[in-house]
Parts: sequence; structure tokens; C-alpha cells
Amino acid sequence: MIQTTTHDAGITIVRPGVERLTAANAKTFKDDVSQLIKSGASHLVIDLGGVSFVDSSGLGALVGIYKLIGLRGDLAVSGLQADVAQMFRICRMDGVFRIFASVEQACENLAGAL
Amino acid sequence: MKRRTFHMPNDLRHVDRTVLSMKACVEPSLGASALLRFEISVTEALVNLVKHATTSDAAAPIDIELHDADNAVCVEICDPVGAAPFDVRDHAPSQNAADPLAENGRGLGLIVHCTDHIAYGPKADRMCLSLTISKSGD
Repeated sequence: MIQTTTHDAGITIVRPGVERLTAANAKTFKDDVSQLIKSGASHLVIDLGGVSFVDSSGLGALVGIYKLIGLRGDLAVSGLQADVAQMFRICRMDGVFRIFASVEQACENLAGAL
Repeated sequence: MKRRTFHMPNDLRHVDRTVLSMKACVEPSLGASALLRFEISVTEALVNLVKHATTSDAAAPIDIELHDADNAVCVEICDPVGAAPFDVRDHAPSQNAADPLAENGRGLGLIVHCTDHIAYGPKADRMCLSLTISKSGD
């Protein structure tokens, strides 16, 4: 389900590979990213540029990933479309995640902290 | 008033498709903000039913009515056969009270937050949740 690429600085870019991150696929998404983290990926950018809608289950999966990374690495999200950004605001996720307009900006920020 | 009915299989894999079909019906009459509130509240309500409403007939579809009136869009979602009554208003935490680091438990609060009016009561032999999204103020 997820698509991954690796940035020069060792940052893993994760794209969910779905247009809607919802209850139908949130668990698979979280399991896939969790496996990635357990395999050693510690600095992640989750690029939501291709996602037009996220429901509470999708947000829950993102929070679970955030907590799994914890102190072992870093996480940012990028490319939020308008409706997804609004969902983040409603659920106060904009106070939890570091959010960047583009995946490039997110990688630059994470790389600077490495 | 325009009225449409939907019959969604009681399965999470059908929620997105059903919501998108309903959204297409009201897209011409709702502004962007109201349309998102519609999409969020209907999605969360359907997911909540599929995940948590125990039914005596899992093969029976979830019946939904969509009313597009002059001032508002109303969605009536009937509980599955045999489900215990559940009024989201009695169980929904406020968005401000919700733990931002919780991995679940946001759905009911979102339903309340995103709708202008909620009702829950009997209709024929079922209990139905009624969600109203106003067309004004967008």
C-alpha cells in the first residue's frame, strides 16, 4: 500500500498510496509504516499530497506512527490538501505534527536537525 | 426537496464509496466548508455503525436517506437490525476535551462538531440518526 523513497540525508519519504486515508485502510497503513520503523527507518516524512480526505481512523494511524517513532527519530507531514488541513485543525493535529507545504521543505527541516 | 436513498453493505470497504456517491448528490448545493462537514460527519457516522453496532443480520445493508432541502441537507442513517440504541450525543466528547495523542475516540466528537443539528429516534421498526448540515454561513 505505502510507497517509500529515501532522501539523501537518510530520511524516508512515505506516501500512503491511497486517495482517502480512512477506516478502510488506516490499519494497513499504520502496520506498513510500523514495519518500516521496526526495520530501522527513524526519520520520516509522510507526504499526504496525494490524499484528499482523512477521517478519524486515518488521523489515529498517524498519531500511532508519531508515538511509535517517539524519541528514536523524527516525523513530519507534508503536502496537506485543503480538506485534510482543515481536518487537522479541527482535531488539533496541527499542534501535534510538524507540517510543511512540500516534501522538499520537510526533508530540509529534518535534515537540518540530524 | 430532493430525496435519495442508499443501501450500504455493512462493511468498512463500502463506506468511502457510499460517502462519495452521497457527496456527489449534494456537491452542487453545499459550499466547500459545509461539504467537508458533510463528508466528515457522514463518514464517521457510517464507520461508527459498521464497527460498533452489533446486528442480528450482518448481511442486511445499512439504509440511508439523503434529503436536499432549501436551507439544509439532512442525512438519515438507520441502525442495523437488532442494534442496541446508541445516541452519539450522549457519548461524544468535545473536540477540546479530546486527547490529541489518542489513537481513537475522535469519531463521535467529529459527528457532533461538524453538524448543525442531530436527532436520534425511532422510524418504523428502527432507530435512526439524523444529521443536518445547514446551507447558510458558508
